[in-house]
Amino acid sequence: MMKGSIIPLFVAIPLAGAFLTSFIGKKIEKLPDGLGLFTSFILFVLSLSAVRLYNIHGILTYSVGGWRPPVGIGMVLDGLTAFMLVTVNFVAFCIVIYSINYMKKFTSKWKFYTLFFLMLAGMNGVIITGDIFNLFVFLEIASVASYALVAFGTERHELEAAFKYAVMGTVGSLFILLGIAFLYGYTSTLNMADMGNILATNGINNIVLMVSVLFLMGFGLKAALVPFHAWLPDAHPSAPAPISAMLSGVLIKSLGIYAICRIFYNVIGINPVMSSMLMFLGTLSMVIGGLLALRQWDLKRLLAYSSISQVGYIILGIGLGTPLGILGGLFHLFNHSVFKSLLFLNSGAIEYSTGTRDLREMGGLAQRMPVTSTTGFVGAMSIAGIPPFSGFWSKLIIIIAAVQAGRYGYAFLAVLVTILTLAMYMKVIKYAFLGNLQEKWNKVKEIPFFMKLSMGILAFVCLVVGLVAGMAFLTGMDQTFIHRASETLLEGTRYAGIVLKEIK
Amino acid sequence: MNLGNELFKFDALANFVGIFITLFSLLIVIYSFGFMRQRKGMFQYYIYIILTLLASLGVVFSNNLILLIVFWGFLGLLLYLLIGFGQKERTPSTAKKAFIIIGGTDALMLLGLAFIWKIAGSLTMDKISIALNTKVAIWTYLCLAAGAFAKAGAMPFHTWVPDTAEDAPTPVTAFLPASLDKLLGIYFLARITLDIFQMNGAMNTLLMGLGSFTIIAAVMMALVQHDLKRLLGYHAVSQVGYMVLGIGTGNPIGIAGGLFHMLNNTIYKSCLFLGGGAVEKRTGTTDLDKLGGFAKIMPVTFVTFLIASLAISGVPPFNGFVSKWMVYQGIIDTSKDGSYLWILWLVAAMFGSALTLASFMKLVHAVFLGQRSKEQKAPSDNRKETSSSMLIPTVTLASLCVIFGVFAYQIPLKLFIFPSLKMTDTVFYGIWSPGLATGLIIVGIVVGIIIYLLGTVAKTRETEIFVGGEIVKEHPEMRLSGTEFYNTIKEMGFLRTIYRLAEKKVFDIYDIGKTITSGFNKVLGTLHNGVLPTYLAWCLLGMIILFFILLR
Repeated sequence: MMKGSIIPLFVAIPLAGAFLTSFIGKKIEKLPDGLGLFTSFILFVLSLSAVRLYNIHGILTYSVGGWRPPVGIGMVLDGLTAFMLVTVNFVAFCIVIYSINYMKKFTSKWKFYTLFFLMLAGMNGVIITGDIFNLFVFLEIASVASYALVAFGTERHELEAAFKYAVMGTVGSLFILLGIAFLYGYTSTLNMADMGNILATNGINNIVLMVSVLFLMGFGLKAALVPFHAWLPDAHPSAPAPISAMLSGVLIKSLGIYAICRIFYNVIGINPVMSSMLMFLGTLSMVIGGLLALRQWDLKRLLAYSSISQVGYIILGIGLGTPLGILGGLFHLFNHSVFKSLLFLNSGAIEYSTGTRDLREMGGLAQRMPVTSTTGFVGAMSIAGIPPFSGFWSKLIIIIAAVQAGRYGYAFLAVLVTILTLAMYMKVIKYAFLGNLQEKWNKVKEIPFFMKLSMGILAFVCLVVGLVAGMAFLTGMDQTFIHRASETLLEGTRYAGIVLKEIK
Repeated sequence: MNLGNELFKFDALANFVGIFITLFSLLIVIYSFGFMRQRKGMFQYYIYIILTLLASLGVVFSNNLILLIVFWGFLGLLLYLLIGFGQKERTPSTAKKAFIIIGGTDALMLLGLAFIWKIAGSLTMDKISIALNTKVAIWTYLCLAAGAFAKAGAMPFHTWVPDTAEDAPTPVTAFLPASLDKLLGIYFLARITLDIFQMNGAMNTLLMGLGSFTIIAAVMMALVQHDLKRLLGYHAVSQVGYMVLGIGTGNPIGIAGGLFHMLNNTIYKSCLFLGGGAVEKRTGTTDLDKLGGFAKIMPVTFVTFLIASLAISGVPPFNGFVSKWMVYQGIIDTSKDGSYLWILWLVAAMFGSALTLASFMKLVHAVFLGQRSKEQKAPSDNRKETSSSMLIPTVTLASLCVIFGVFAYQIPLKLFIFPSLKMTDTVFYGIWSPGLATGLIIVGIVVGIIIYLLGTVAKTRETEIFVGGEIVKEHPEMRLSGTEFYNTIKEMGFLRTIYRLAEKKVFDIYDIGKTITSGFNKVLGTLHNGVLPTYLAWCLLGMIILFFILLR
């Protein structure tokens, strides 16, 4: 019990940060920045120590208020949770660093930080909770905060995007709630481990299948899988750059992909039909997102479509259901969090200096903004899967896994989309950074220090992860921490037994 | 240590390619000291060159396919960065195009790698041996070969080479598309063809067909070019055809010829590019219409350029002849299996060689002989040879052309080619002894000089150049630039259509891809109309379909 007491901190700390900022932050000008930086740093360190704790003790649990599950709410720290926590909190930390400078142009910083930490609390909550209704609550906290953040600029198109996002997001949440209700009616429990146990003994029937479809649609909408993706290309570009980075980088993953993984692998239990469904949706998103991204001229919109495409890779990898596929999918999830945040921060840097997001108006910015262009280049190369950057390895693993599983068609499409991705990012680099500098950008200045620092950290991670992954790949990869995360999924419904044993 | 053996290996083929990669890098660095002087970002430039050298050596010495592909992909990135040093308006587009073609085929190689893992269960190259008898194996081979073809610039992945040749800085062109990328592409093709896969007749025929087609099509395009570097770029494509053809023959002599041609091609092709670069540096242009008469101004460059031109055209006793001769023998050797296709390949190869000579006659005339154009009639201080750091590489390469031609057996074949293929001796058809031939040629030249000298003793009349009865000198508006030599070819009925289509880039795989994706895009774009109810309708439709599939 004592060992697990670190777990609720992941929700408590950001919530405390959010409320403190809203109470005191109004009065003291510099406080929101300091408090935000402090909170997110603590969370990042805690997430690292969570990985350590998991490596020493194995699965840890915590019962909220001392009520033992399945009656009370249980929280679980396992391999997948630890992995997701590190991803989310690391990216959040970098984004807070970036926001110190970037958010100056908006009037009320404290509102931003309040909403930001509310969203972070929601995401962390979704990841650590062991209770399916609790998951829904945290999911709604994060979603509602993100609706507000999309509209943060309160311009016309931002409000429109936020409205669309809110409507579609709510529809998605509704179906998730419906699914949870059905499951509760069927199993009489809300604890995911308990539920998994009962479902495993009862076997798969039509109710479970129907619930699967509801979840697939609901969480698929949160993860922006085609055809449930249409809100994303409006919502993600409209938000302020740090929030775009947060939404594309981690929100769609913790609310969508993580939940899909957890529920389909550990609660319902994956079956071949679901598996092929996931693969099909993943590939569809991959291809359609890639094609649509290629024709965009709005930089952030292009990045948003590319997120759809990359989420497709992750879902394809996870849907394969083989150890290698899951490993590749999760690895790509981590990589995508890092480089897509980096790219969104980059687009924000360009917007910060020039005031435009239209690629046709840029050009030659490499001469004026060396740091932005270098980090942007690293991010683009990573996402395009050019060795030795990180994206190469995860795509390689996914392609190999698809071939190993005998899914040659999917592997081939994955390769084709890699080419599309390369093409779209070459377009970005060509129009934004290369070529002749237009006269009106002669006085453009490089961005302030903290923005550079944040982008620098993320770009550095892209490169280092790529190199480390390369070494691991060539020498055997049993010991990496992503591997531990994929083991959690592979345990499938046996996970329930392990967690329950730990609780009782 | 065991891991080291699995990741790297040093066999004769790898050593041979590695030695020449290092040599070319050295020459290019020396050349760049002269050519790239007074430009910005030179520190980065040399860093990239060194990284390219290291990555190329990595490709050559890797024994693990993943390691190889990592280095290989990294080279594509470096190529992109290096092309970016060009100063033309179109340079960013060209760099983008080159990188997309190279990166795209690299992605196909990843697929090939995944297939190999599936089939063979190992990625250590010297432990894999796959027979081409299943569909998957054939696809695997094609995926990997696509990577090799794109790198080497063989059709149909060649289109980046002429563009790059025109828009990248000359040393970069001479370094990557002309030498290193050729070495690596053909090295990898040889690796997969000889070591990893057991070839069958059909695949060999496909290779030979692609090779022959590359030779003819690219050389036809080269004939009608007006830009020095673009013309050389098309030849860089055309020559790859011989290597592919040689490796495709599948018999020892042909393969040895292909590999030897790879080596020779890198030598004379970089010599040509570097010589062209010297002219470009002096004049600031590569447009053939504006050049002419440089033989007097830059005699050393002229001689090296001439030697390299003769070598590429396959004129004995230079090195290009020997390797082409071996490729021809390889082709004739394939007649043993009873098919008559070998005649087609042989005709293509020989005809291509003749056309190469033709296009180089035009080139040498337009640049070095002929008259100087009006723009280039510069003040007299222009009259000097290029700087020594740019001369050393060209002279070195030109002398290699001669040495490797005259002493073909003693030096390159014996030291590098035969050990790479584990061949001890080969049978040559016909009698060709380079030493003797060289002797005869020298005798011929000497006799010619004697006749010439004797002739001048006799009564002759010297006159100005005249065309159609008019003395050219008296009509400054009349000028024979040499670019119009082959314009008639462009006007021939069937060829005219082809050329017109080629100019519209109908045959460019990059533009084909662009058209296809933009077609899809239009359809998808109309579906994303920004109307919320439409989007909601899709969600519901998607869900209904899922319900239908799962609960049927």
